Amino acid sequence: MPPRLRPRISLLPSGPTPTSRPQCLLRPSPSHRHFSQTTPHYEKATRMRRNMYKWINGPGKVFLEPLPGSTNYMSAYDKDGNLLRARKGGDEESTPGSEEAKALEEGKQAEDGSEKPKSSEEELENLDEAAVAKKEEDAKKEQIAKSIPPEGKQDLQPFPLNAQFVSQPVLSEELREAIWKRVMKDGVSLPTVSVEFGVSNERVGAVVRLMQMEKEWVAKGKKLVRPYAEAVMAMLPKTPYVAKGENKRPVNHESINDLIVHPATKQQLFVPVSESRHFTREDAAKAFHHTLLSADDRIPHPELVVSEREAQLGLSNSERVAAASARMLVERQRKAEKEAKRKEWEAKTIMRVPGRRWDFVFQDISVESVGKDGRSEKGVGWRYGIPHEDRKRGQVKIPTKVDG
Amino acid sequence: MRSRRFHGLKKIKVRQDWSRWTLYNLSRLREATSTATRGTYFQQKWKAKSITRAYHGEQVREKQWERMFRRNIPAVVPMDHKYLAQKDGSEQAEGRGSGADQERAQKARPATPYMQMTYYPLERRLDMAVWRSLFASSARQARQFVVHGYVKVNGKRMIYPGYQLNPGDMFQVEPERVLFATGASKVGSNRRRREIRKWKAANATGPKPTKVSKAAKAGPVSLQGEYTQADVTKAPDTSPEALRKRLQALMAKTKQVLEAKEGLPTKLKRNLRQFRKEVKRAISLHKSATDLSTETLEGQLELIKKEYEPVAETTGEDLSLVQSVFEFAEERTMRSSAWNEEDGRKPYATPWRPRPYMSAFAFIPRYLEVNQNICAAVYLRHPVARPGFSEVPSPFSVDTNQLAFNWYLKRR
Repeated sequence: MPPRLRPRISLLPSGPTPTSRPQCLLRPSPSHRHFSQTTPHYEKATRMRRNMYKWINGPGKVFLEPLPGSTNYMSAYDKDGNLLRARKGGDEESTPGSEEAKALEEGKQAEDGSEKPKSSEEELENLDEAAVAKKEEDAKKEQIAKSIPPEGKQDLQPFPLNAQFVSQPVLSEELREAIWKRVMKDGVSLPTVSVEFGVSNERVGAVVRLMQMEKEWVAKGKKLVRPYAEAVMAMLPKTPYVAKGENKRPVNHESINDLIVHPATKQQLFVPVSESRHFTREDAAKAFHHTLLSADDRIPHPELVVSEREAQLGLSNSERVAAASARMLVERQRKAEKEAKRKEWEAKTIMRVPGRRWDFVFQDISVESVGKDGRSEKGVGWRYGIPHEDRKRGQVKIPTKVDG
Repeated sequence: MRSRRFHGLKKIKVRQDWSRWTLYNLSRLREATSTATRGTYFQQKWKAKSITRAYHGEQVREKQWERMFRRNIPAVVPMDHKYLAQKDGSEQAEGRGSGADQERAQKARPATPYMQMTYYPLERRLDMAVWRSLFASSARQARQFVVHGYVKVNGKRMIYPGYQLNPGDMFQVEPERVLFATGASKVGSNRRRREIRKWKAANATGPKPTKVSKAAKAGPVSLQGEYTQADVTKAPDTSPEALRKRLQALMAKTKQVLEAKEGLPTKLKRNLRQFRKEVKRAISLHKSATDLSTETLEGQLELIKKEYEPVAETTGEDLSLVQSVFEFAEERTMRSSAWNEEDGRKPYATPWRPRPYMSAFAFIPRYLEVNQNICAAVYLRHPVARPGFSEVPSPFSVDTNQLAFNWYLKRR
């Protein structure tokens, strides 16, 4: 066992002045180690650290600022920090590509140069100059953006090792606005808008909800977070909005008919079937599980299949549209009936007493709903003799849902 | 909760943040199971688990994560409605007897990368969703935002970072916090800090420079746009005559606003604010009469037009003026340059600019729909795997993630 020095030292009388005390007894401050010639390890830059800074200031410098008019992911660059697609263009056209790359580099450097720290007074004085410089910089950025070819799949891969994840485009702001207008102004139903723009049902709903909130912010005079939104949208790939009048094909944002892989269909199944039997998708679904529907009914837009079948039967366009609108009407009526029924039920069972700030809602509750052990979720209130479990170990109190 | 060295260089660990350490480590991340380092199967699994967990939900305790782990991984297959309409599926069940001997041209559909989805349950957590929506610069910061009460779910404050989002949940983050998290820091590098210190020291010795405030520089504000407060504070009168008068006052004011567009920014702001007040007052006046939605600016404009049209007709007022004022107000809230002004009180560098290295990490997975203008997002659905693509952002290869998945299966 090594000798324990500390207690003995602490036993020393407090008589001697601090100056006469040997240095080592004091907490050695790193800068006061006069006897040592070597730099301590924490001040020394290790090889690894040096390598890191070499990379950060070398090939990694391209990531410091966003690439104007483009995404800026790691897979878009080679080991030395050269933009792959700029170089690819150079291979084909020999000189212009390298020029592009050069222009790019120069642009980057120019940006870096403009980032130099200034004192606050200077900044105050040079506000106008800064504005002019910014304009010039923007023009330069635009020029760079024009010179780069568009991204391929590999350029959109943020993680070099994971080819299965790419940064997928997000809705551009014009497209969001168009979706909102179509739903809120024209009163078109969600599934129709979803098919029209090639955006999934739930996304259309979310876009409308968020846009509505944005409009409310504007109406309230709340500032939108424009600088942030502009910066982020500039860094992301976007699905552009193609208006109807333009002579271009509309861009589908995502696949709208995604079939969820049902757990029952994940197993491999051998079903002996006679060769003469007409074994369809529905039969296959039944074979997996007796309640499983076929793919035709489980996709989000079954109406597209129906309409396509009608087209194959030889119905004209107008007939198909009429049939589709009739179906939609029936569906709407069914929904309205359901809603009316629910409202009727509510009026029968729920009493509302408007208060000053909140409404009081009364509803008849059955005592039996608490179940045999008195702990059923459906039970209401506190029952005599049954202790709470909320202080027990392992009880999770995080809410599982928040009603809007 | 966290070990002392979060970003190391010896052990390559990619973390959930936008730091240069992470960027560097990401650039030199290699396969965990390269032939040089391959050990026993157990060792491989251990290593894979260790490096993947350093990224995925590092703030979540291991026991917690083990409880969340699911061996069933959600996936979808995109269907073609034309194919579904043409074929009923029987052609796939055809045997040799029906002449199915010749090889069918198989559509080359890439395999579904289920293993890349190993950590999908973590993406449902609120803090993770906040981070994935680019509202925070690291998962830990996102967690802190939640804990500190800057995040709302469906309009209600939610302080639990472990809250499991349900499909359709909307979450909002305080915009100031988002700007702070994603903006460049006020005092950037050590070099800058040193320079500032030096500058301060130099100023402390010499005579203090007289600081000229912007307001003083701009000079005294002229009062030509001034108008009396009385008509604003007056209780609204509902008689048509009073209404007309109010309208006229409104028109006069808006005219002033439009004229003062270039000259007086502060004045302009005040006028606009006043105008907005007027609009609100007018709406509250007629709210009981209509059940029109007046929550958006367009709704308000419609209402105002409807209410004032008869009055304008009698007096010959120009309605397009109201329209233009509304447009101007909208323009100002949408793209005002006043937003991105220099402001020393802000905890981030002003004018705002994105923090360094952000662009290399900026992507938004498809299970989220984000509106950056209001710093809000909707969790649409749980992340899914689809042929050739997985929605869980993971820096690791399929092999590594598969090893990690195998680690978490009960019998390893």
